[in-house]
Amino acid sequence: MKVAVVGMGKMGLLHASILNAIPEAELAALCDKSFLIRKFLKKLFKEIAVVNSVDKLSRFDLDAVYITTPIALHYPIAKTLYTENIAPNLFIEKTLASNFKESKELCELAQNSGGVNMVGYMRRFAVTFQKAKNLLEEKAIGEITSFKAYAYSSDFYGIEKGSKHGTSNIGVLRDLGCHAVDLALWFLEELKVERAKVEPIVSRNVEDSAKVKFTASNGVFGELDVSRCVGKYRMPAVGFLIKGSRGTISVNDDELEMSLNSGKSCRWFRHDLHDTVEFWLGAPEYFREDNHFVKSVLHNGSAEPDFQKSAKVDRLIDEIKVKAG
Amino acid sequence: MGVEEKAFLVGDNPFHGISHLSQERSRIRGDTPTNPEYAAKLIQISLENGANGFMFSVSEKTLSILNFLKKNGDINRLSLYAIIPYAYEYVRLASKVGGVPGLAKKVVKQIAFSGNFNAVALGLKGVLKADLGSLVKTYLAYEISRIRSSAGKQAELNSVILHQLVTDMCLGFNLSWIFRLYVDWMLKAGLKPGFNTGNFALLVKKFKEWEISLKDIVIAAPFNKIGFQMVPSKEECEKTLAELPKPNVLAISILAAGYLKPEEAIDYIATLPNIKGVAVGVSKEKHARETFKLLNEKLGRT
Repeated sequence: MKVAVVGMGKMGLLHASILNAIPEAELAALCDKSFLIRKFLKKLFKEIAVVNSVDKLSRFDLDAVYITTPIALHYPIAKTLYTENIAPNLFIEKTLASNFKESKELCELAQNSGGVNMVGYMRRFAVTFQKAKNLLEEKAIGEITSFKAYAYSSDFYGIEKGSKHGTSNIGVLRDLGCHAVDLALWFLEELKVERAKVEPIVSRNVEDSAKVKFTASNGVFGELDVSRCVGKYRMPAVGFLIKGSRGTISVNDDELEMSLNSGKSCRWFRHDLHDTVEFWLGAPEYFREDNHFVKSVLHNGSAEPDFQKSAKVDRLIDEIKVKAG
Repeated sequence: MGVEEKAFLVGDNPFHGISHLSQERSRIRGDTPTNPEYAAKLIQISLENGANGFMFSVSEKTLSILNFLKKNGDINRLSLYAIIPYAYEYVRLASKVGGVPGLAKKVVKQIAFSGNFNAVALGLKGVLKADLGSLVKTYLAYEISRIRSSAGKQAELNSVILHQLVTDMCLGFNLSWIFRLYVDWMLKAGLKPGFNTGNFALLVKKFKEWEISLKDIVIAAPFNKIGFQMVPSKEECEKTLAELPKPNVLAISILAAGYLKPEEAIDYIATLPNIKGVAVGVSKEKHARETFKLLNEKLGRT
């Protein structure tokens, strides 16, 4: 399976390295608009082609392309890849696009191409969240009644407003909060935004924190708290407290605890959930998601989460911003 | 023939507030010793109970710990194993300063203002010619100069270990020349080249393929009773370990991030061949005393 990666920042390097370690995948080309990055890539990789624009990828007879550029470029790049028939199968780092309108259009293009499509919501491949999903499907805590979710990082913690740091062009909802929104949709299928508050803390034009209230079917309600200005979060973290008719589940990146109304409780750490992979880079979930995409392409399967499911995240983020005013 | 002394190293994860078992619990308890002066005290207690080295990622925090160790004289009783670059800090920085190009600019600025003129000249050549080899050497020289300036020239810098994220990314890309360049440069500098990896079995397999001598290097890799973070499997890692030409593995994550009790964890390590030493993080004075006493009892110095 011949693959190219577009956008050679940290996520591009990570996915490209993992793909190169998956025996069924052949890393055929890398694409980046930066002259300096291309110059270094050419020195690093003698056997991999390096190009400066997406249309030049057409010469490599590609099976799949990974898009790991800044989010604003996902839509135009994916559109070019589809309309010029450069590759039928696409993996796009989260979020699918900058807004729901773009996402919807990409869903239509993906459907017409007939290939496999996937968005990099890697937390779906974390063993703790997978265990939570299984327990919820088994109704281990009965019917869900409510949830509280958070997504925190210290990326902009301690930075003064107006500092030259913290000038991200992307708000915290698409940068980090999207993981919690995607997981909430994975657990509950549909959500509606009831109330929302977003605010810039150190950034000038985008939000650094958001508080959202959701409702779902059957009277389920939920809350989401997102911020990148919280202390002591060396690594970004996402977590949920989910209440059900028979108990609660508390889950985050490292552990899962289930307490039942009967008094019984169970706890699982990553250690208990067979958290191993064939090649480990960054976190095991990155290998799992790339391997899942490759296998889906090779076996004509469908990948999860696909564009349709991921577009719902963009729709909800748009709704949050509208509600927040 | 003398038997090499086992390395019992204090690991620095708790000093950065890291718990691989549960970040959330660690945050709530707030019990990680992130104050450099207190961290230096924990190292001192560890030394009194049998530790003989410190394994650390090079960051402002650990450089400050080295400063304290220098001031109180403990630095001369320690063998230093430095991990570079402190990749997670750079990843975080990249998010703040506009991705990889922004990060590169910041690092270049740091090196330029470091006053290390050889490194600056080599780096300039690297940038002008897009010569990655020169840039890697520049960066190594810069990091080593930071360590030496904090620890003092008398400190024994035993090994400089390439961070797991960088080692494993290069491994994924099959960049044999980077590994060769690193080994050659470190050996010329009189330092033991080291590699921290989450893919121990693959690293050893590739080094054999690339004919990079496994005798000249150290490898820091997870080894624990429950196979946590042992990729692709505990069995494969154990088999690869047994096939090494000499004891050159520093076992890390031996407590599986606090999941295992020290006694059972160390009993497992004692069954393994080719272990050069272990690195264990300690967050309390009691932990420091008990852990290193136990390591000496069970694994011995020789």
